[in-house]
Amino acid sequence: MFLQHLLNGITIGGGYALIALGYTLVYGVLKLINFAHGEIYMIGAYLGFICVSLLPALPPFFQTHTLVFVCLIFLVAAGLCSIYGFYLEKICYRPLRGAPKLTPLISALGASIFFQNLVMITMGAKDKIFPQLITQQTMTFAGVSFTWLQLTMIGLSLVLMLGLYWFINRTRLGTAIRAVSTDPFMAQLLGVNVDTVISVTFMVGSFLAACAGVMIGLYYGTINFTIGYLGGMKAFTAAVLGGIGSVTGAMAGGLLLGIIEALGAGYFSTEYKDVYAFFILIAVLIFRPAGLLGRRLHERA
Amino acid sequence: MSGRKLSAELFFYLGLMLVCAPFLKLHTAWLPAVFLVVWGLKWFGDFSGRNEGIGRLREKVVGFFRQRSTPLVLLLLAVAVVVPFGASTYLLDVLTSALLYAILASALNITVGFTGVLVLGFIGFYAIGAYTTGILTTKFALCGFWLALPASGVVALLFGLLLGIPTLRLKGDYLAIVTLGFGEIVKIFCNNLDALTGGPNGILGIKRPSLGFATLDSPQAFYWFCLAVLAMVVLIIARIADSRYGRAWIAVRENEMAAGALGIDVFKKHLLSFSLSAFFGGIAGALFAAKQGFISPDSFTFYESVLVLCMVVLGGIGNLAGSLVGAGLLIVLPEFLREFALYRMLIFGALMVAFMIFRPHGLVGSRTIALEAEDHADGAP
Amino acid sequence: MRKWLVLFCLCMLAVACTKKGTKEENVIKIGAAGQLTGPEAVFGADMLNGVKLAVEEWNAKGGVLGKKIELVPGDDQAEPRQAVAVANKFVTEGVAGVVGHFNSSCSIPASDVYHKAGIPQISHASTNPQLTEQGFANVFRVCGRDDQQGKVAAEFALGRLKVKKVAIIHDKTTYGQGFAEEFQKGLGSGAQVVAFEGITKGEKDYSPVVTKIKATNPDAVFFGGIYTEGGLLIKQYKAVGGTAPFIGGDGIMSEELVKIGGPATDGTYATFGPDTKEIASAKNFNEAYRKKYGEPGVYSIYAYDAANILLQSIQKAGSIEGAKVVEAIRAIDYNGALGHIQFNQKGDVKDSPYVVWKVEGGKFKQLK
Repeated sequence: MFLQHLLNGITIGGGYALIALGYTLVYGVLKLINFAHGEIYMIGAYLGFICVSLLPALPPFFQTHTLVFVCLIFLVAAGLCSIYGFYLEKICYRPLRGAPKLTPLISALGASIFFQNLVMITMGAKDKIFPQLITQQTMTFAGVSFTWLQLTMIGLSLVLMLGLYWFINRTRLGTAIRAVSTDPFMAQLLGVNVDTVISVTFMVGSFLAACAGVMIGLYYGTINFTIGYLGGMKAFTAAVLGGIGSVTGAMAGGLLLGIIEALGAGYFSTEYKDVYAFFILIAVLIFRPAGLLGRRLHERA
Repeated sequence: MSGRKLSAELFFYLGLMLVCAPFLKLHTAWLPAVFLVVWGLKWFGDFSGRNEGIGRLREKVVGFFRQRSTPLVLLLLAVAVVVPFGASTYLLDVLTSALLYAILASALNITVGFTGVLVLGFIGFYAIGAYTTGILTTKFALCGFWLALPASGVVALLFGLLLGIPTLRLKGDYLAIVTLGFGEIVKIFCNNLDALTGGPNGILGIKRPSLGFATLDSPQAFYWFCLAVLAMVVLIIARIADSRYGRAWIAVRENEMAAGALGIDVFKKHLLSFSLSAFFGGIAGALFAAKQGFISPDSFTFYESVLVLCMVVLGGIGNLAGSLVGAGLLIVLPEFLREFALYRMLIFGALMVAFMIFRPHGLVGSRTIALEAEDHADGAP
Repeated sequence: MRKWLVLFCLCMLAVACTKKGTKEENVIKIGAAGQLTGPEAVFGADMLNGVKLAVEEWNAKGGVLGKKIELVPGDDQAEPRQAVAVANKFVTEGVAGVVGHFNSSCSIPASDVYHKAGIPQISHASTNPQLTEQGFANVFRVCGRDDQQGKVAAEFALGRLKVKKVAIIHDKTTYGQGFAEEFQKGLGSGAQVVAFEGITKGEKDYSPVVTKIKATNPDAVFFGGIYTEGGLLIKQYKAVGGTAPFIGGDGIMSEELVKIGGPATDGTYATFGPDTKEIASAKNFNEAYRKKYGEPGVYSIYAYDAANILLQSIQKAGSIEGAKVVEAIRAIDYNGALGHIQFNQKGDVKDSPYVVWKVEGGKFKQLK
């Protein structure tokens, strides 16, 4: 029982973590909560769906090599989604640099309402159903039931997180992102192009969110235009839980949130599932105001 | 115009075209209206940005109104009092909603505007107020509306203290997510404590208050009642904002450390403003319960919190008159857009973004905030 | 250039304004309220198309009382506050009657407004008992009630499936929870309820709750809610190794359930009205609807009949005066797409036959 709940928690937690990374990265460089990020995740899922439904029109090679096709879906959806992220920043946030702190937040909420309704109008309000690309056969090991797809999903989120860790810590652009998030003014003086770095950050965040979207779509089989709200809010909670602005924090926070929810729902009442997450969040913040793994921020009052 | 600005503008219009494309079949005639509004906003933004004169003119106009504020307020009040004569039930319903949201927005403005604390789950207090009234007047039949109204405020205030005491020491965005969580928790509890709140079925049959000689059953009477409450709330907030407390709040918002050094108890000031806004939120909730006669958790979603926050920001953070304007606009505007049905929310979202880009300080704006923004523009965020 | 464009726009606006001014008043308006936008917008569209079809048919025959019928759609976004605003708008526009709303949580507060204005309201899908228990003379519904439906489902579970242990899941909405509670009431002491769990609507991951349910080893799992969650629950329940069949209501009666849940949904039961494809009277409706709007949703036919009842009553009453129309609806003896409909004192359908359906080979089939 316990192990089953733990596995359930890790599966969904991986998804939360991927979305949470987007919040945390943007918060790092802009000190801004990108409220439209949840919608980017939703759009990613829809782009994935569009790609999947193109399958019958593609050459037979893809129809026989499902794995290649799935990889391609991820790449295309995530690639397109990073363009969305790029323009989201360019249209909704860039003109607002230096405006009062709440202004970009409202603009983000506006963008979020806009995206939701745009998808609803263009794609329809009905749930979209992914065709079964990979057969899901239940296996049981030590009393725990799981499917290959579930394992693949956990594996993929781990790989993406490691990839991001490498990108942030080992590449030039990653170093620039870290520089901007530490001190944007200083980074600019040292010749870092802050605008480019911010754009890249948005694109990377959107890339990960789109991967999470496609993953959720393939695993659970249905998506609709409201998943961005719930997913976004959970991921945001995860990011704060782990310490917003911290990359490892977002990963840990996402997994932790998934596990808390699964155990809470499993051993107590399902009705209050969302309450546990928030209670733990409040408790963590009272004792560790910067989140579990966050640096103590020297944020101005 | 530089190349970058041109391309940004181009993308903006492309986005706009995308919004409008679906109308071309149905509402071709409405399309230009949207364009005109956007152009007007943009022109005004550009113009006031380029031209010092318009800034001075605006100062002058604001100064004019400030000097003659009493007759102006009286005039507006008179208009608001007269409106119900000859208005349809529908219009009255919309206007009463706008009044309720004006109370909410003014209340939220205390924390967001005066002390600079971002609250994302404000609707939680509204829900607590509404449910307190609902439970007191129907389930227990303990008391009538007149006792339930202040009781709703007090209960909301207690919850405000309960939430505020442990969490108000947190910094900006962390506090924001905690309050967001609070709003969700209130909603979930309302949905699950079936014995008390009726669960998803909500509470039915909440009676409108009576004034001894007449019940406020007609839409007109209830409208006037809400108007009176709003006037009272605004008056109280305006007086407090102008007192020593209000000045201390502004000081705390502008620079917490300096305020602390001056001997202001920052935490206490935060707590006071927080619980005060919770109190007024509860009052608004009680009115909502009486207006609808029926409450259920569906009315208290995160989207409503966002709506109230938008009203505050749209009108200008820290500006009481702005909150009223914002509430009026955001409740009345969607009613006009009802014609569009399907595209209503789409346009609403796009307008929100456009507004923030072209009028970032809100419609009315607040000078203290503007100064702060200039600070931000110079250096690091 | 820009100046000309602005001028052009102004002209267009002027045209738009004048066009509105000359609108003819020689029509009878009826309102159709539901969630036209938002997460459940598909139900709103199904309803609106059903009503549209009825209105078009009447208009083709020359309208009612010699006047054309105008359909006024109202979007309540599945939110009570908006529902009241829509209701007030209908009253102000002077509609002769209203079809809707969809959600019970919207229908109930809106019914208060219609009651005060004396306008008849016929809901096509609000199954919560409270709606017609308020004692409003002007409120009707053409669908069944959750207490009737819950009883049928419980009798089926006890009698046909011979269950001893039942797990109950609901989606924490007025409909889902109300239905689940009525089901539990219907079971009485005949079976043991081993779990009673609420889930959050709109989520995708229900693995914690199905893991928990599986551990209680029920003979059947009852679900009060909509097919979107139902399909996911069934699929995830089977994925953790559960075997008990699911029982649901009208909310899960949709081909979509099978698409979402895949082969795991085989053997799922649902209570619903009798098969409209087998009712001869529904044949015309199905054909006409398919030709115009594609496959009908489960509630399209209810909306169609509600609109027909309303229009026929207006015809009979000979005026659009609220009290007279209400009187006519009360007395109606209607033979429509759903079959024979008469209303009882409360405004419910006199005999509402719920039957049990089963998913077999990916299709819902009525159990004989």
